[in-house]
Amino acid sequence: MAELVVVGLSHHTAPVDVREKLAFPEETVALALKELGALPSIAEVLLLSTCNRVEVYVTARDDAPRAAADVRRYLAAARPVAAEVIETHLYERLGPAAVKHVFRVASSLDSLVIGEPQILGQLKAAHALAAEAGSLGTLLGRCLERAFGVAKRVRSETSIARGAASVSSVAVDLAQRVFGELEGKQVLVIGAGKMSSLAARKLADEGVAELLVINRSPEKAAALAAEIGGKARPWESLPELLAAADVVISSTGAQRPIIDRALMKQTVKARRHRPLFVIDIAVPRDVEPEAGKLDGVYLFDIDDLERVVAENRKGRERESSTAEHIVDAEAAQFLAWQRAQAAVPVIKELRERFQGVAAAEAQKAIAAAGASPSPEALQRLAESIVAKLLHKPLMAIKQDDGLAQAARRLFDLGETKPEKEKP
Amino acid sequence: MDFLFAATAVLYALCAATSFAYLAGVSDKAALWSRRLLPLAFLVHTAEIGARGVAGLHPVSSVREAVGFAAWLLVGVFLLAQLRRRLDAVIAFVVPAALVLMVAARMTPVGDTGISGLGVLGRIHISLAAVGLAIFALATAVAVLYLLEERQLKRKRIGGMVRRGTALDTLDRLAHRCVQLGFPIFTVSIICGAVWSARLGAGFRPEYAIAAVAWAAFAALLVARVTAGWRGRRAALLTIVGFAAALAVMGAYLLRAALD
Repeated sequence: MAELVVVGLSHHTAPVDVREKLAFPEETVALALKELGALPSIAEVLLLSTCNRVEVYVTARDDAPRAAADVRRYLAAARPVAAEVIETHLYERLGPAAVKHVFRVASSLDSLVIGEPQILGQLKAAHALAAEAGSLGTLLGRCLERAFGVAKRVRSETSIARGAASVSSVAVDLAQRVFGELEGKQVLVIGAGKMSSLAARKLADEGVAELLVINRSPEKAAALAAEIGGKARPWESLPELLAAADVVISSTGAQRPIIDRALMKQTVKARRHRPLFVIDIAVPRDVEPEAGKLDGVYLFDIDDLERVVAENRKGRERESSTAEHIVDAEAAQFLAWQRAQAAVPVIKELRERFQGVAAAEAQKAIAAAGASPSPEALQRLAESIVAKLLHKPLMAIKQDDGLAQAARRLFDLGETKPEKEKP
Repeated sequence: MDFLFAATAVLYALCAATSFAYLAGVSDKAALWSRRLLPLAFLVHTAEIGARGVAGLHPVSSVREAVGFAAWLLVGVFLLAQLRRRLDAVIAFVVPAALVLMVAARMTPVGDTGISGLGVLGRIHISLAAVGLAIFALATAVAVLYLLEERQLKRKRIGGMVRRGTALDTLDRLAHRCVQLGFPIFTVSIICGAVWSARLGAGFRPEYAIAAVAWAAFAALLVARVTAGWRGRRAALLTIVGFAAALAVMGAYLLRAALD
């Protein structure tokens, strides 16, 4: 029976320097799918390569361990990494364990941050590449389709993905608690740290009207502005920009606060008490804590954000057991489908065989009796078809008592032999 | 009629309970229940008011009926406001308020301030007062949620109330819209009331002063928002002050009706 096999490594088993060596750049995926698919032990293949995991999902033709070994060999040969280096980090899952693994990955239960949605998108992209390369068939194709369905169920039936799980998404989330929609809001980015660029980009995704960037160094301001699709403004215009902004993200390297209570008080007055949401991710802090106590000012520093992140992650982990139950149930259902699927070829051949016999006997009868056969000829035809169909099964049943029992069940022959059944 | 009243009260109580459960973080699904129960409760309430009207106790027949009508209006205005915003957390404040108004009106005896006592002017006065009160009640419910959420956010407690509530700015603007809408209605009601009581030749009563306080609070709120940009916490506090005064006026009426 064809079985699913997963071979790969992830952040659970391998450090980043191994993961990055094994990762497949997108343009190499098509070739890898082709080469893997050409291996005689493998019927279907999908390659998932992200910064946190490199995994190969295959359907083994008949020998799952052999297919797994072939994939291992292929990985070591295809990427610039020594076989013995990846060998210790690679894991493999066969059959039911492989199905469960695929479902868990899609539902983001295996992710670094449980519940983060990126992995589902990455898996869908990998699915699209494999579909394009024609390397998917019934079993793996269906498995992935179900995996997407499971991921959707997990998202809607558990709160595993609730609560922002990164500093920048917490920042966006909090801004929404104040303003509701962020569409049309003005964002001011002070300083040019990596964090502020991340947060600014997240805000841009929410459709803010304008991203303004200021920095003591005009060049750096211009560079960050270009990177995040904003506009650079001179450092001196800070007070006016503060008065106009709705969201401020500050992350300068300044040793002393650049926004003190006095400046904030002046700002609040200038903006006529419109709410101002300030994220201070600089260490040491850019905004005096006292400034955040003013009416209409909502100030969060890096510790506040980290604390929210930690709480949300804990909440997600609490929810993961519910999600695991969903995955288990869905995997069981899939395996039942797979078993039913295994009977399909037998059914097909049986039907073809029977129809072949019927057709051949009918031919013979027509040849002997012509276009209008007599009742006796029809009787003979029916008997000869039955005899042909029964010949081999009857021989087999005579030699094997188990088959006799099976025949009783198959053909609904009623009472079984009294000496064997019933106490 | 009594059956409809009891059914309305029970449905509102259930709705309030589910919305409390939601706000307290017992279950997020509770919000769905309160959102479903509310229109149902409102329909039964509508039937109840209709039945009372048919029996002659229509909304403008007395202060008592007008207050009961205000409870219905409050829920109606909220349902309208909810069409365009997600206000699940506000239900927890609106529905108990409606329930209290409804029961308070019911517990007041019918009294003599029946149809004969009220002229056209009196009827206009109490019906507009009921409408104004309902709209201010919604503004206040929203303002209370605003203050609670704002305090949590300022203290950097991001869980519960803040997560399940509505964005501060949305609440602030909704409360403002309500005050904008309710103020002219309330003003006309006060003028009608003043003319009416002058015609009746009734002397000065303390609730007139309280009504003036309520009117002044809402007037100040509207003016300060335009001139000084008052909004958020201060606006919410002033809304609550104004509503408390308006409620006191209503309380005085009901009390008088009960004592007379």
